[in-house]
Amino acid sequence: MNLEKEQMIVETILQKAPYAEGKVRRERRIEFRIPPDRIRDFLTLLKENNFESMMQITAVDWLKDGEIELVYQMWSYTHAIHAFVKTRIPRDVDKARAPSVRDIYPVAETYERDAHEFYKVTFEGNDKLEMPWILEDEDREAGVSHRKDFDMLGYVKKKYKLLDRFEEDKENYVI
Amino acid sequence: MVDWRLYEPLINFARKRSMWIVSFCTGCGGIEMPPLMTSRYDLERFGMMPNPAPRMADLFLITGYVTPKTLKRIIITYEMQPDPKYVLAHGSCPLNGGIYWDAYNAIKHLDKYIPVDVAIAGCMPRPEAVMDGIKKMMELIETGKADGWKRYKENYEYYKKNQDELFGEGWRERTARRWIPWLMNKRKEIGGGEQ
Repeated sequence: MNLEKEQMIVETILQKAPYAEGKVRRERRIEFRIPPDRIRDFLTLLKENNFESMMQITAVDWLKDGEIELVYQMWSYTHAIHAFVKTRIPRDVDKARAPSVRDIYPVAETYERDAHEFYKVTFEGNDKLEMPWILEDEDREAGVSHRKDFDMLGYVKKKYKLLDRFEEDKENYVI
Repeated sequence: MVDWRLYEPLINFARKRSMWIVSFCTGCGGIEMPPLMTSRYDLERFGMMPNPAPRMADLFLITGYVTPKTLKRIIITYEMQPDPKYVLAHGSCPLNGGIYWDAYNAIKHLDKYIPVDVAIAGCMPRPEAVMDGIKKMMELIETGKADGWKRYKENYEYYKKNQDELFGEGWRERTARRWIPWLMNKRKEIGGGEQ
């Protein structure tokens, strides 16, 4: 497999950004790890290096590490390369903060709203975070989130008044 | 004074042959509508057609899972329809949640919120199954057993209680006003707020 193009792009970017770690995952996939306070610098750099499009901001909840991982997925039309930019921020609700990249990639506004609603990450500088998104107001007030420590099944049973047919055997829940 | 009950069988026959459908597709079953409407299964030979306005429609197809957000609109649309109105629920999701039994965003029993006349099992039901349900619905209309709209009137407290339990009191007004602050901000952004 010929990974020269990918290697070259990773090296070019790492030269300009010594704080980052980078590697080639496979053909057309490269990966970077950066500290959370350099997100804006790094994405500006990526944009200058022909990564024109942001495809998604994914949030991953690492419960045991106490961290939330933000994965910025960038796509380059010029090189046809998908870059993962990974960064980790603390998991506590008041500490889970990241700078907004809305002015660099306008599409980030939507993805930041998504990550804010489902993982309670606050993006500083995005004033539309509280705008209605997928969840209804009742769910928002009840604190629904896709974090691992939220008891989703219990919430569903309470909300829809489902009968708990196997009350005594909660470990092996059978329907 | 004419006793209109005498003409009931005739009227019911006419109703059964001219069901108009609200164009409101929820969930994944909307994809079964194009084959039903087009030449392969051709619903129009039964006098059915999709209709853009709920004010002129008789039949409400619930095609698939129903989220609380959609249910609010379904209830409002259902109440907008004029009186002989029938509800046909597709698939297992409106019956008991189906594969979404543990999802926070899909309601589990549709008949707690609006009355359902005919329910079709399956995930998803094929167009043949939907045709079967429509045939059943025609029988029920002709014999006068499709009385969901009467049940909705008689047991309105029950349905209202369930709806309010799920959405909270005053949900209609809250839903209508939900976007107003953000729309006002938008107007300010584009410079139309001052006038």
